[in-house]
Amino acid sequence: MKRYLFRRILSGILTILVVLGINFVIIKAAPGDPIRTLMGPENDDPVLRAALTEKWGLDDPPLQQFAAYLTNALQGDLGTSIIYNRSVNDMIWEKVGATVLLGFSSALLSLLIGTALGIVAAKREGSALDVLSSNISYTLNAMPSFWLGLMLIILFATQLKLFPSYGMTNARADYQGFAYVLDVLHHMFLPALTLILVSIPQYFRIAKSSVLQVSNEDFIVALRATGMPEKKIFNKYIFRNAILPTITIFGISMAYLITGVSLIEIVFAWPGMGRLVLTAITQRDYPTLQGIYLVMSVSVAVMTLVVDIVYTLFDPRIRFN
Amino acid sequence: MSVFLAKARHGIASALKDTQLRIGVIAILVLILVMIFRPVLMTVDPYYYGPDILAAPGENGHILGTNKLGQDIYSMLIEGIMVSLQVAVISAMISGILGVLIGGISGYFGGKVDTVVSEIINIFMMLPTFFLILLIIALFGNSILNVMVVIGLTTWPSNAKLMRAQALSLRERTFVKSAIAMGETKIQILLKYIIPNGIFPVVANTTMGMAWAILTEASLSFLGLGDPNVISWGQMIYDGKAYLTSAWWISTFAGLAIVLTVIIFYFLGDGLNHVLNPKYVAGRNK
Repeated sequence: MKRYLFRRILSGILTILVVLGINFVIIKAAPGDPIRTLMGPENDDPVLRAALTEKWGLDDPPLQQFAAYLTNALQGDLGTSIIYNRSVNDMIWEKVGATVLLGFSSALLSLLIGTALGIVAAKREGSALDVLSSNISYTLNAMPSFWLGLMLIILFATQLKLFPSYGMTNARADYQGFAYVLDVLHHMFLPALTLILVSIPQYFRIAKSSVLQVSNEDFIVALRATGMPEKKIFNKYIFRNAILPTITIFGISMAYLITGVSLIEIVFAWPGMGRLVLTAITQRDYPTLQGIYLVMSVSVAVMTLVVDIVYTLFDPRIRFN
Repeated sequence: MSVFLAKARHGIASALKDTQLRIGVIAILVLILVMIFRPVLMTVDPYYYGPDILAAPGENGHILGTNKLGQDIYSMLIEGIMVSLQVAVISAMISGILGVLIGGISGYFGGKVDTVVSEIINIFMMLPTFFLILLIIALFGNSILNVMVVIGLTTWPSNAKLMRAQALSLRERTFVKSAIAMGETKIQILLKYIIPNGIFPVVANTTMGMAWAILTEASLSFLGLGDPNVISWGQMIYDGKAYLTSAWWISTFAGLAIVLTVIIFYFLGDGLNHVLNPKYVAGRNK
């Protein structure tokens, strides 16, 4: 177990280093001349060019440059936005709350709904309910999430006029307290519904297949032979074994929380990281894009590590092997 | 090679029995035929900016309406098949070939090579692929060629993982051992025995990868990172977003085309999985 943890942590650290390496190589290899950008298009003074090159260390050997980049990044400095001239850290920090609110609540709901549906479908395999939910899940899985979001806007916002299609709060009203919470929930409905719909299939599939698999194991057959009530077999033996893969999937989806939510945030103008990504793309604000990528990759690496560790605590089979 | 052929023949024979695969094959053939005969099927040149701006479906002979520039949506959808299939096939080929070679070498050579390569595979599997692609496309330019190459270059790890597992088990088999005894070189064995016999799970996975590539291209286009010089379904959804309330048909039909095509590839991939992998448990592949 100690050896396993050590190896896992080591590969987590390696992953972060690789991410930093990729980020560095991408900046270096990308077309465009940073000095030219700094000097502006009209200015081409060789003295200034030399001074700027010297100042930013662009003549240093690549390894030394990488070391400098690494030191900054490891200290948590993600650089400065070339459009807003603000620290990328601050810009990300401002937006992360809205993203986590939307991402976490919809992940939790899709976990509950998808798993429940999957278990019911597995218990009544072949029934109309199973066929219907399996087909719906298959189709949802094939949908571009942002397109589903647009379709929901057409249905619920422009046709039925039930829910707002953009933003997080009503800018015209100045709600306080409980009214504010309700307003946020009202705005969150459509983006959350989209996210829940697109992530139900993975929970549905994994729950259905693992319940089916565990139900066919020999020890379950043996328990049935002893005459134990079906309900007890399910609650005590099938469910406990079958839920493990679901926990893994949920953990991994927590790791990809920010990544998965971005496109939907853009569709619904939700003021989170996705908006930041979009404005950074349209304004060619590369340091911001790279900072976001770095934060995302590091959080994925850390979260998968946490998931693996939690998993060893949950499942004695891993702990003792 | 004869094992390969026998397996392939067996595969085709049992493939006809798998409903999903049968539907998938027929549908993909129809899609390819539509693509080939698109000059006949299109009502107008999809790049032609006509006088009917934002015409509703059915108006003035535009079956599915027109967009803000007067382009015919129906014809654009047919033209869009090209880009989607191109992206799917080329990126999947790159990712498949890379995955097979890297995974094959790792699994067959074993030892230190395997330790290092499989660690690299694990690390690459943990990178958020979509955002890496997004970053590279944003920095290096959004031509459709870049999109295809970058998707291919970032999605090989899952293929490599499958191929590695195959190579690990195949190298213990008698026919490979006898090839070693016959004095064939490692490269020969890898290319002649390991890869042809172990490639089937990768083929199924690559088909799933094609679906993913189509969705990725669409997502990039939706972020404004698509190739503006070609007609793609993702681009159409992006263009239609601004006209969601007044001209719903622009985004809606393009999205339906994506859903349909992705489902075809899912059918192909799932079908291939059933046929090629007897141990496959329905719904467990990811």
